[in-house]
Amino acid sequence: MVKGQENDRLAKIIRILFWPTVIMVLFFLLVPVYIMVKVSLSAPEDILTQHPPFLIHNFTWDHWIKVFESGNLWEPFKKSFTVATTTTILAIMIAAPASYVISRMPKKVKYITILTLFLTRMFPEVGIALPISVKFLELGLLDTNLGLVLAHLAKELPFIAWILVGTFETIPRELEQAAMVDGASRLTALTKVVFPISLSGIAVAAMFVWLDSWNEFTYALYLTLSDRTLPLQTYYYIMRGDWFQSAAYATILTIPVVIVTFFLQRYLKSGYLSGAIKG
Amino acid sequence: MLKNFGWKTIKKYKLEIAMLTPLVLYIIGLTFVPIFNTILMSFQDPLTKEFGTLDNYKYIFGRPEFKDAFKNTLLITAIGLTLEMTFGLIIALMLMKKFRGRGLFRAVLLVPLGVPTLVSAVMLTYVFNTNGYLNELLYRLNLIQVPIDWAGGGMKTILMIVVADMWKVTPMIVLLLLAGLESISDDVYEASAIDGASTWQTFWNVTLPLLKPSITIALILRAIDAFRIFELPMVLAGRSTPVLSTYAYQEYNSYNNPYTSAAGSTILLVLILIFILGYLFIVEREKGVK
Amino acid sequence: MKKKWYAKLVVGLLSATLLLAGCGTEATEPTTEGDNQSQEPTTLRISMGLGESEWQVMKEKVFPQFEQEHNVKIEAVQIEAADLPKKLESMDAAGKMELDLFTQDNMALAPLVEKGLVEDLSGYRDMIPDEILPSLTSVGEFDDKLYFLPYRPNVEITYYNETKFNEAGLTPPTNWDELLNVAKTFKEKEGIGRVAIKGTLDGNTTVHLYDFIRSAGGDPMVLNDEGSVKAYTFLQELYPYLSPDTKKADWNTMNQYLANESVYLGQNWPFGVNVIVKDGGKEEIKAYHGWEGPVKESHVLGGEVIGIPKGSPNADLAMEFAAYLMSKEVQEIFVSELGWPASRSDAYGTVADWQKPYFEAVDQALATAEARPNVTYWADVEKATNDAFREIVMEGKPVKPTLDKYHDVLEVAKNK
Repeated sequence: MVKGQENDRLAKIIRILFWPTVIMVLFFLLVPVYIMVKVSLSAPEDILTQHPPFLIHNFTWDHWIKVFESGNLWEPFKKSFTVATTTTILAIMIAAPASYVISRMPKKVKYITILTLFLTRMFPEVGIALPISVKFLELGLLDTNLGLVLAHLAKELPFIAWILVGTFETIPRELEQAAMVDGASRLTALTKVVFPISLSGIAVAAMFVWLDSWNEFTYALYLTLSDRTLPLQTYYYIMRGDWFQSAAYATILTIPVVIVTFFLQRYLKSGYLSGAIKG
Repeated sequence: MLKNFGWKTIKKYKLEIAMLTPLVLYIIGLTFVPIFNTILMSFQDPLTKEFGTLDNYKYIFGRPEFKDAFKNTLLITAIGLTLEMTFGLIIALMLMKKFRGRGLFRAVLLVPLGVPTLVSAVMLTYVFNTNGYLNELLYRLNLIQVPIDWAGGGMKTILMIVVADMWKVTPMIVLLLLAGLESISDDVYEASAIDGASTWQTFWNVTLPLLKPSITIALILRAIDAFRIFELPMVLAGRSTPVLSTYAYQEYNSYNNPYTSAAGSTILLVLILIFILGYLFIVEREKGVK
Repeated sequence: MKKKWYAKLVVGLLSATLLLAGCGTEATEPTTEGDNQSQEPTTLRISMGLGESEWQVMKEKVFPQFEQEHNVKIEAVQIEAADLPKKLESMDAAGKMELDLFTQDNMALAPLVEKGLVEDLSGYRDMIPDEILPSLTSVGEFDDKLYFLPYRPNVEITYYNETKFNEAGLTPPTNWDELLNVAKTFKEKEGIGRVAIKGTLDGNTTVHLYDFIRSAGGDPMVLNDEGSVKAYTFLQELYPYLSPDTKKADWNTMNQYLANESVYLGQNWPFGVNVIVKDGGKEEIKAYHGWEGPVKESHVLGGEVIGIPKGSPNADLAMEFAAYLMSKEVQEIFVSELGWPASRSDAYGTVADWQKPYFEAVDQALATAEARPNVTYWADVEKATNDAFREIVMEGKPVKPTLDKYHDVLEVAKNK
């Protein structure tokens, strides 16, 4: 990096503040998660008081036991997982080819297309959730996984398309042109040359979609009657003022998140998102 | 000539069109159409269902809650964006250095992205409640004797919402800025080192300008979501501090008026559009000057 | 190498999904009732808004007898009062009503009637047993038509923190002067208000406002008569001494504030007893029927009613279920198992010991309970009443002129 100068005050400040900042940021990021876990594991006296303690004074497994015994956990968990995974797979399948095409368009058209994709995100969800839900209900999609997947797709596709356009842009056209010169058809060039390289970028996009769908709430509220998703189930406990069980559910909701992000964080290096920036 | 152009182009690009169509249909059908419908609805009279009336808008503009919501939305977005971008940039810069535990740091950074906003909102009420951890901390540090009412309205509530939002959102900004930072080649840094530039000078004159596209994207992306902020103010502040999204929701839910709610949503849309177009305009002008 | 790892992950996820999707359709679900697997019984889909322990009582003690007698499988879903109108609306707009019967909080009925989402039950008036308290039936009537059947009454009780009251040497207030005194004393003693009313400026606030206005002899539908003026003036005086949690206190968060001792005196529905005392273990939180105003004591008669959504697939069966819910046996189960006051004069039950004092408080409060007027323009009424509260009590505007203004708003709404 930069060779230090004697008067380089900023470098000195950075050196001093670096580790404290890291720790502070970690602390800030972990506090809500800690609270979730703490509340789910604390006896009521620790929480229902004017001066709550910071650490766990009165530990109890009671709330977790209640959660597992109530039998209300497995179904929503399964549903959320299925919907998230299906949405991710479908989203990639629909968006990747389209993004490829967009990435190869002339610059002006591309710009406009991307901006239009963004238009869809600019409207508060509240305004369109009802009309969309009505349409889905007409199609008999109440309580189905398919209905939720379709609704989530509508939300996620623009975002994924944008990320993937960036990814594809980092892959130079020369590559596929070289493949075609070598005698490959257009389709083969794409599948054998371009897509494999873009896999890491697709991984990043997939991760975002999965997380977003796992947490999705508004459409789940409209499109389910008896089969709740995990966020809805958590909402139920929150609404009924069951502080402890809702904390336990919230923790359960977060665990897959931690696992998924831990796995895929190594893919979050350069390139995948940088392409989007250059656009 | 146009006829030739049409058919030939379609034939040539049939693969592309096939790949593009599902996406386009989906987005048009499931996003554009409902949005368009809602916008139309905002111009409808609730009783006669006629079009072309501005009554819904007139009604909203007269409501004090709407004026509050408007002001709050602007404040939260402005302060939030500034803080998020600043902190995001700092953290991104930090992540450029190789240090022990960087992987762990990066992993933890991503966790907020996966927690539903509703859940993080509820957890943060534990922090910001009258009997919450923040007040408790301040009390133990002897800074206050009587709990502070964070949700009481005014700047402290705005700040509370901003901090809550930052928790969820800064990681995303970090990722975007990081991508931009990593695409800056090392040669540039070497050149500036040879020129004997200090850290600050390098940052200001080299890194920052090259980072402008990233910052623009991050800013636009965040601005869109910041203007639409919903669950956090809803849970943390309730109705005393409305924002445009929660106001539209209330009109629909509590007051049973989807028409004024639609008007509220449309106003929000227009606001976002103005912001983005304005921002892009300024950026383009600067580019032109250079 | 990365690619291989990747491919494995994708294949793994795919197969996991297919497996789960397959499992989902085959396995019987342990929690939801009724899986339409058996040929003969008809499925009756109902919705209620209940807490978990309440659902247990329903599923174990109330549903089985009806299911056996009528060869029915009851599929019950949980829908909160606030979400029901939206759900019915979307199902109705789609032409696919998936619900046969619902119970709904009687404060959230107007939108259902206004949007034409419920069947007119006027022809079934004789179905209502004579023993049902008449005030409960009027709750289900709109424009002289019967849309909902009585189900169970409910009323807010006043919770207070006995320990904190004793420490301060206070007793729970029985009238407005004492209420003001209690609020002032706590505020002075602790530097922060400890008495809360539900000031969220939605339906919750309206309930409290109705109590205050009526107990001062006013008519909330007039809004600027002498009683209303007295009520709003009093509230304006009381407000500075109230807890800051007032702004966020609704039927859900009020329990939290009482339980974590941020609030020492507050009114809420009796289900809070389960949450605060039974689950939360805060036995020092007691309850009584509340205070009276200058003229009388008045509490809004809440509760739930039974409704049949328009287009209900099994309407006749649903009506039989409604009759079942109104029967003496079931009402007595409600009393003894759930601590709910009965809607019939002939239903008695024994309540658990720990619940007795709270049940008594509910009964006493019910004695002075009055229903709210059932008008289809209720949304406007609520808005006007709450807006008046905001302007007068929160913003300190002059009482009479503001009330006059909102009186006019109400008149306009009435004549729309």
